[in-house]
Amino acid sequence: MIAKDAYKRYVEENSPKSPMWRSMIAAFVVGGLICMAGQGVHDGIAAIFPQMAEEEVGAWTTVVMILFGAFFTAVGVYDKLGHFAGGGSIIPITGFANSVVSPAMEYNREGIFFGICAKMFVIAGPIIVLGIVASVLVGIIGLFL
Amino acid sequence: MKKGRQSFILDRPVYFRSSCTIVGPKESEGNYGGLFDMVLRDDRWGEKSYEKAESKMHRKAVEGALAKSGLSAEDIDFILAGDLLNEISASNLAMRHFKVPFLGLYNACSTFTEAVLLGSLLIEAGAAGAVCCSTSSHFASAERQYRYPLELGNQRTPTSQWTVTGAGASVLTATRPTMAEREAGEEKFAEYLGETAAEERENCGKLKKLAKNCAGKYRPDYAVSWRRGEGGRKCAVRVVGGTFGRVVDLGIDDESNMGGAMAPAAADTLLAHFEDTGATASDYDAIYTGDLGRFGKQALEYLLSTQDVDLGDRYHDCGAGFYTPEQQTFQGGSGAGCVNVTFNADILRRMERGELKRVLVLATGALLNKDTPLQKETIPGISHAFVVEAEEIAEEE
Repeated sequence: MIAKDAYKRYVEENSPKSPMWRSMIAAFVVGGLICMAGQGVHDGIAAIFPQMAEEEVGAWTTVVMILFGAFFTAVGVYDKLGHFAGGGSIIPITGFANSVVSPAMEYNREGIFFGICAKMFVIAGPIIVLGIVASVLVGIIGLFL
Repeated sequence: MKKGRQSFILDRPVYFRSSCTIVGPKESEGNYGGLFDMVLRDDRWGEKSYEKAESKMHRKAVEGALAKSGLSAEDIDFILAGDLLNEISASNLAMRHFKVPFLGLYNACSTFTEAVLLGSLLIEAGAAGAVCCSTSSHFASAERQYRYPLELGNQRTPTSQWTVTGAGASVLTATRPTMAEREAGEEKFAEYLGETAAEERENCGKLKKLAKNCAGKYRPDYAVSWRRGEGGRKCAVRVVGGTFGRVVDLGIDDESNMGGAMAPAAADTLLAHFEDTGATASDYDAIYTGDLGRFGKQALEYLLSTQDVDLGDRYHDCGAGFYTPEQQTFQGGSGAGCVNVTFNADILRRMERGELKRVLVLATGALLNKDTPLQKETIPGISHAFVVEAEEIAEEE
């Protein structure tokens, strides 16, 4: 039969490709809307608690957006949004919440300990590990600067 | 009798006595909708997990096929079954309910044709009088095992396929089913459906989550679309022979492009079949591959064209034709249930009605697990093929 290289080339050239422009536009619009919602939450918090420090408002905004991400995952909406928007809904912090909550829901049936607790980080785990490693490294570098 | 390198022809015919198919809601909206015996309204079928639901579908399909055959479990000598879950657990758990010797099989999505080939050989050798061949797959349990959690908001690639939620079983026997036996079988199946309905109703209240369905008006989690006599009574279908496939790997490493990975195995088995038996594509009314999907089908046609083999219009792919384009499954269906339910619900029925005389079915499997691509392994494929023929039943039978 056909040689490996020739077949691999055939598959690479002929496999259906992701529609680049459609994906990018959907990601841009949805990602932008999520960020606008985040800004809205930020401004809302700032309006309700006028004496809150700017940094603290940012932290609370993050918390609220994570809550939204988790909530919309739990009611089964976020995956549909993700099918449409791709990176647009994966990159914001709501997508991070989705990547933790969705395995927690999925492995619920294996019990709380070895199911939810153990499997919750199967997707977000690497991001958390790299985030901690990076912050430790930056901290050490910061110590000597 | 062995024929060539990897094929055989049965010296004594083996007949498809009966079959039963159960699919999920999305499948019933696809191109073969309306042909299946039972359709789930809820793809968990009242169970606590998708794995349990798959196992239940598997058990019910086997029970249904046994009922339709008119035979009792004691008359069945072996059950050959497999699925895609770890250690074929859907089959294993379902087999607790049968007091029948069980042979567990795994060749990914080609398990059904493997089971039919082995079952026919067991019957031909005289080791069995009747065997049951069954496989199952479930979209949700397969996603969780091979891919990501269902609620994760990621995008599927255009080369991906949609695992069919479905289970099917066929009973093979050494003797040709007579008209009277078929009618008796249908009678028994109708009874079995009645028993299942009663059992479902009783169990309904036991699961807390479903209690709300059971208070007041009860609505079962499944619908029966089987109709008496729909199989048509003109012909009996027999297994003539087949070709066992070799593991073929042409270096495809993209686990979301299984069609591309499996097409070389299908080509290898098909060419071996033609060489061993001396048959050509025109000897068949139809040639079905299992679940290569739209791109895989195109890749197989390309591979065959390099060997100057043209299958023409008689070539179909069960996966590519399973869902409608509006269902957005990209390449189409896949899974151990795909070729099984397509064959049992559509191809077999059409042969029984006399619309197809001689058909080659080659299911294809991608032999990977979740870890092998991470360990930089490429994806090997396998394909087993069987040949079935329709034979007219004389009126007096």
